[in-house]
Amino acid sequence: MTEEMGGLADRFGGLSGRTVIAIVAVFALAGLGVVSVVAPGSDAAALFGIIASKSALSSTLRLAAPIVFAALGGIFAEKSGVINIGLEGLLIISAFAAVYGTDVTGSLWAGFLVGVVSSTLLAAVFAVVCIEFRADQIIAGLAVWLIALGLAPFTSQVIYNGPNTASVQSFSTITVPVLAEIPVFGALFDATPAVYLMFLAVAVCWYTLNRTSFGRWVRAAGENPKALDTAGVTVSRVRYAAVLLSGVLSGMGGASLAFNIGQFTGNGPTMVNGKGFIAIVAYLFGNYNPIGAMLSTFLFAGLDAIQIRLQTVGVFAVPDSLIRTIPFVTVIVVLALVGKTRIPEAAGDHYESGED
Amino acid sequence: MSAGDGDGGGRIDRLRDSMVALTEASAGERFLIAFAALALSILVGTGIILVSGFIATCRTPVLTLGGQTLCYDPVLVFDRLFLGALGDPLSGGWSPLNPQFAVTLRETTVLVFTGLSVALAFRAGIFNIGTQGQLVVGALASALAVLWVAPLLSGVVGTVVLIPFGLFVGAVGGGLYGAIPGALKAYADANEVITTIMLNFVASLVALYLINAYFGDPDSAANQTVPLPDYATFPTVLFDPRLDFSLLALLVAFVFVGGVYYLLEHTPFGYDIRTSGLQPEAAEYGGIDSARTVVASLTLSGALGGIGGAVYVLMVLGNFQTGIPSYGFDGITVSILAGNHPIGAVFAAFLFGVLKSGSSVVDFATDVPPQLVGVLRGLIILFVAMPEFFRMAGRRLASPGDGETPAPAGGADDD
Amino acid sequence: MLILDEPTAVLTPQEVEDLFGVFEELTEQGKTIVFITHKLGEAMNSADDITVLRDGKNVGTVPADEVTRNDLAEMMVGREVLMDVDRPPANPGDTVLSCENVVVEDERGVRAVDGVSLQVREGEVFGIAGVDGNGQSELVEAITGLDAADEGRVRFDGEDLTNARRQERTDAGMAYIPEDRQERGLVMEFDLVGNGLLGSQHTRPYANRGRIDWDRARDHAETIVDEYDVRPPNADVEAESLSGGNQQKFAVGRELARAPRLVVASHPTRGVDIGSTEFIHDRVNDLRAKGKAILLVSSKLDEVQSLSDRLGVIYEGELMDVVDPDAVTEEQLGLLMAGQRPDIEVGGLEVSG
Repeated sequence: MTEEMGGLADRFGGLSGRTVIAIVAVFALAGLGVVSVVAPGSDAAALFGIIASKSALSSTLRLAAPIVFAALGGIFAEKSGVINIGLEGLLIISAFAAVYGTDVTGSLWAGFLVGVVSSTLLAAVFAVVCIEFRADQIIAGLAVWLIALGLAPFTSQVIYNGPNTASVQSFSTITVPVLAEIPVFGALFDATPAVYLMFLAVAVCWYTLNRTSFGRWVRAAGENPKALDTAGVTVSRVRYAAVLLSGVLSGMGGASLAFNIGQFTGNGPTMVNGKGFIAIVAYLFGNYNPIGAMLSTFLFAGLDAIQIRLQTVGVFAVPDSLIRTIPFVTVIVVLALVGKTRIPEAAGDHYESGED
Repeated sequence: MSAGDGDGGGRIDRLRDSMVALTEASAGERFLIAFAALALSILVGTGIILVSGFIATCRTPVLTLGGQTLCYDPVLVFDRLFLGALGDPLSGGWSPLNPQFAVTLRETTVLVFTGLSVALAFRAGIFNIGTQGQLVVGALASALAVLWVAPLLSGVVGTVVLIPFGLFVGAVGGGLYGAIPGALKAYADANEVITTIMLNFVASLVALYLINAYFGDPDSAANQTVPLPDYATFPTVLFDPRLDFSLLALLVAFVFVGGVYYLLEHTPFGYDIRTSGLQPEAAEYGGIDSARTVVASLTLSGALGGIGGAVYVLMVLGNFQTGIPSYGFDGITVSILAGNHPIGAVFAAFLFGVLKSGSSVVDFATDVPPQLVGVLRGLIILFVAMPEFFRMAGRRLASPGDGETPAPAGGADDD
Repeated sequence: MLILDEPTAVLTPQEVEDLFGVFEELTEQGKTIVFITHKLGEAMNSADDITVLRDGKNVGTVPADEVTRNDLAEMMVGREVLMDVDRPPANPGDTVLSCENVVVEDERGVRAVDGVSLQVREGEVFGIAGVDGNGQSELVEAITGLDAADEGRVRFDGEDLTNARRQERTDAGMAYIPEDRQERGLVMEFDLVGNGLLGSQHTRPYANRGRIDWDRARDHAETIVDEYDVRPPNADVEAESLSGGNQQKFAVGRELARAPRLVVASHPTRGVDIGSTEFIHDRVNDLRAKGKAILLVSSKLDEVQSLSDRLGVIYEGELMDVVDPDAVTEEQLGLLMAGQRPDIEVGGLEVSG
């Protein structure tokens, strides 16, 4: 009744939720593969054809990049003790700003930079509010989301007379000769700069968190801020750095998202459409490990890629709007199976240094 | 927190007095913070209007400054936003029955429900960001159920039966939809912030699917059901029937405000909710089943959102349409602004009713995009979330040059 | 120089061994280590010199290889002669609470309570002494229903309540004075009227047909404030504005007002001023005189020794022995608390009365 409750998977059978999901995913894929060999004409075979294709992997990577960037940012912030639930807002603002920047400067990379800067500024506001003024992090994060959700379409309306911006350039793919010819996995070498940047960012973030003194400080600020303080490192400074970093990374994510199509669309939940929240689940599922976060993002983005393909191919007679719920439902299922993740000890708490 | 042990009554009495003074101040303080947050949001909003006014291009600028043109007039914007929403009470011949004021009250009515929905969950220590989805489900369920039953009835009897029936179905729909994240939190430890946000997306997509596939009006290009018969919608009282506002619905909203207040303050279950929200470990100690309280409070919260959706259908739309405005998210702001208090929610809902209604006046009277209200909504939440900012500012105002005094870190244990 | 304050509290015995290995490596490199511990054995195993502190005073420093456990126990526990408590001998009646081989595992799967059996009878105080963190909290939670025992049974008046809800146990007549009044025992932001209701919010007469009778709740809180001398005498103040002693008096008063058959009191006088401590001790003796069963957990030896009729000593989740508190010496208790069985027979009271 009052015992610590794990996720559903923990309660039924003692396997960790993560293991269950990984096993289910692998078996589903293997099962589909077997069926497609045995019954080449079946729906399952067609589905396997969609999944195990170079184009599916390619669009998975493309869809994953923005989420992975945001998740990396979320890891830094939360590891340092600041739960940044406003990642969605950071993605929205940077997606818009990147397109606007490119529209004004004519340069895609200049626009990319504008996106990163705008997201970092909004993250800075969030940081000040949380760290300096001790706001409730969840409420402040919601505010960041809602502000961006209003501000981006507002500005778009001011400049472009509509919630959608004009179209600018989009990322073109960089193809590595020979390697790109590999079946299926050739997609890894025939991708947009954002995808290459994503792999680089995952590696750099993993190294920073686990092998540098800054990474140690970030982890200490979230686990045991008092110890960090005792060791002579200013906790709030580390947290500021981590939250700003989440702004920079989310900015790269938002810009990558916008340059996938070269436009910002601001109707309803905007083109970001929950990706910031999916990023949070991705890093929770990935247990705050950048590589784990990337792999779990691939799961969500892969499902998204499949649903987009299903919409166009029309293998099953499942309507469009139901297929579009797949990523959201998956997030809920994953969260239920993983259950309570061990969040950093001091996450969500304000830290007041003893000697002010 | 507490005085040193073992000393006499005198010091404790003094301490008690100052604590009592503090708690009494905090109710007023809360009001001040809400007011200051609103003022500050307007200030920042003005900045945004000015900047975007210089960026935007227009034929008739309100001001030209050295080659730069200012397209928007912030004073006009806020004048239209607030006074416009009330139907210009400062000009002559004002009647409370004026059309714009009816729109304001209409928005207020729906917002009272979503505000209550968020507040009830908040009091139990749960962030229900899913009121929007629960409202959509409630609206859809209510519209479909009423459409199904309506042909059996007509006239006044129809109204008397169908309105409560529609509200009830909305409550059941929203309640069941709220129970999902409740059960996921209670029995699988899934964070409700994320699950409720995800369920918002799912609700609107599933509603879209159902309308497209089964319940759409074949004669309409829009994603909507056929209209409800007139006798199945809220009858207007005093106000012009064309205004889609019913005083009766507002009255129902007030009844629910009283109901939620009663529930929280005067029932054992309300006591469980408040205890769980304030101190989960003490709740456990007091024999409160935390899992059951989580599920029950999210179900009730969802039911309130669902009733909000039903009211929106039965009073405003007269059918179900996809793309319902973000009343659920506004409910978060309403609740936070009201300090999660049901009666405070009435005032906060009225403020947001003004903002929403005013935004259409602004849209009509100026070129400023109506999304401005969305920005203000976020800003208000942000500022209400940081009471420490206002306290610091207050201290600095009270004693200039001495504003750096840090507040003592709370929660010191004496054990 | 390295200072470690109770680093072993969260470690398994194996990890403790490893830690001591690290100590040795460091000291061989010429480092200085200050190691603070509650546990006798750890100090003897790891340290070169041992300084004993008691009540904030330095009792003395001795070389670890020249001192015996008995010496250390005496230094740790030594205190003035007990106040003579003038009370009649126990006249125990029927068994009220009985624990049979109760096992509670913590989150890491370590057995925090490892097969504890005990019985508490009407009209007696069963004390549990031990160094903090040896499973007392977990045992109490398994008895009171904040946690469920992983193995074994908990019976109350013969009825099996092992898996009963907390509310059912309260309703059955079990009162519980928790060790942490600020987290568990009181809702700090509620006034005393609200706090007086905690645990009875669904019970008549306070709840009547789905409505809380606040007038009655107020009377109840005011009665507690009055009878237990809670200062300030005002039921409208928030719990957090009271001093620790007054918070505790209120929490104790609320629990005893349930007219319970069994009172589980966990560190009832921790962080409480002397006046309130005496007051609470008197109430425990009153309950005993009225024939209630009392399970008293405390790390204050004089408290458990003077109030208990039988005294169990818990070490690493096991009940080392149940002794006669009037016959046992501090040294013997100290050794039991450190996991050592003294050479001489100290009590040998039957566990099951």
